[in-house]
Amino acid sequence: MKKIFLLPILCSLAFVACKPELLVTPSEPTKGLSGSWQIIKATRNGTDLTTRFDFSRFRINFTDSSYTIDSLVPFIVSRNGKWSFDDPTFPFSLSFQPTDSSARTSPLQYPVTGGQRNLIISFSPGCSLNTYQYTLQKAN
Amino acid sequence: MQHQPVQHKPLVKRKPSAGVIWKVIGALLLLIIAACSITIDNVAIPGSIKSGDVLPITLNVTITTNQTQTSNFMTAVLVPKVWKVAQNATITFTSDITSGDQAMTVIPAGTPAPQGGGMDWPTLLATKIGNGGNLLPDYEWVAFYSNASYSVDANATIHATVSIKIKTSPDNLMFKLGFCVANSTDGLSSSDRYATAFPGCFQAIGTGDPIDFCNPQISTVDPRASLDNDIITLTFDGGVQSTALDNASQVYLCIAGITDTGDSLSVCTQTDATRMTSLGLNKWQKDIWPRKLFNLTDNQHLTGLRYFFTDANGNNKVGYAGGASPFLYTFKCQ
Repeated sequence: MKKIFLLPILCSLAFVACKPELLVTPSEPTKGLSGSWQIIKATRNGTDLTTRFDFSRFRINFTDSSYTIDSLVPFIVSRNGKWSFDDPTFPFSLSFQPTDSSARTSPLQYPVTGGQRNLIISFSPGCSLNTYQYTLQKAN
Repeated sequence: MQHQPVQHKPLVKRKPSAGVIWKVIGALLLLIIAACSITIDNVAIPGSIKSGDVLPITLNVTITTNQTQTSNFMTAVLVPKVWKVAQNATITFTSDITSGDQAMTVIPAGTPAPQGGGMDWPTLLATKIGNGGNLLPDYEWVAFYSNASYSVDANATIHATVSIKIKTSPDNLMFKLGFCVANSTDGLSSSDRYATAFPGCFQAIGTGDPIDFCNPQISTVDPRASLDNDIITLTFDGGVQSTALDNASQVYLCIAGITDTGDSLSVCTQTDATRMTSLGLNKWQKDIWPRKLFNLTDNQHLTGLRYFFTDANGNNKVGYAGGASPFLYTFKCQ
């Protein structure tokens, strides 16, 4: 007899418990560069220069759209200016627009190594036959 | 004294095991594969030419096959980077199994070489074959494939004559050229599947600073092509000849930058900025960024460098060939 009373209650609870599942498509976050970055590795035509040349004081400070450079070394640009990605969600190149000269663009790799985001750019600051690759990491 | 029991094996004719059969088959296959070979029989190349002229080279190649195969023919050249061979060379060949000149085209860098473990042809050639004894790093392998692929019969001997024409740069240089032939199926998978030739030191006689890849130099500059906003590496090798710095415990750079207006900017004090790093065996190295070293303004540009090496007091100074004239370096980008 008790079971007969329980059945409608259980049925009504089952109806209340069922809700349509809300499906949310996962979205890739846009990438940002904000902060101060330092050079942790530098090569010239594949030769590692990291410990041979003093890159230690170089810093590039990115804000939402601008950058400033401290203690310049041979770099893709030598003046402060604006920066942009080709695609903020999936960036494959990084452009620098110095305030008083033409824009320069570098192919970009943006891997996470050892839990740290790296920024790898390639460019020719002098002769175009020479390719430099710098790996930058956020400075503490 | 105990006598050990002697076991006599029954004299029964045993069948060879499956392992033995496979070993015999493997050995036979190896013999068949090993029978395929490619050789460069000779290289016809002038000992020197005038810089800027076309350098003609002929390779006589023999290919012996023991199995049918369809492949593209590959020819690679080891050359100074400054020649830009990918843009300035044409390679063709004639052979017993083709009619007329067969065209070849540069294999784009990054194209994986067959059986090359993911490496492209230039990387594989540099890794497996090397630099041909060139002492400066500004060399490159440039590889070409035949535009067509060719089927070869088993047990055939094919003769090919490869014609290489390179438009050289105006640079005054000595270089040990190298050549490699192979095919698009086997790559450099084993030493009998490719052939190399290194005919010795070749000279392109031009004007300007001599670039000698063949002989040890008392001082070198890397990279050879650079501008004043590059990082350039100067080395001093005191092991090449006896100099006034044979016993120096520290070596410094004494250097002048020559501007495009003819001014000479000198940095010749013994400081951290000019102190060279010891590489051992009386070899020293310094990486400089000329724009910073000479405090150039935006409007100043360097056309060249004149430099010496000195000891910590600056009293003993070594110049070109160990003498009193400075070493010279010209900034250029070609």
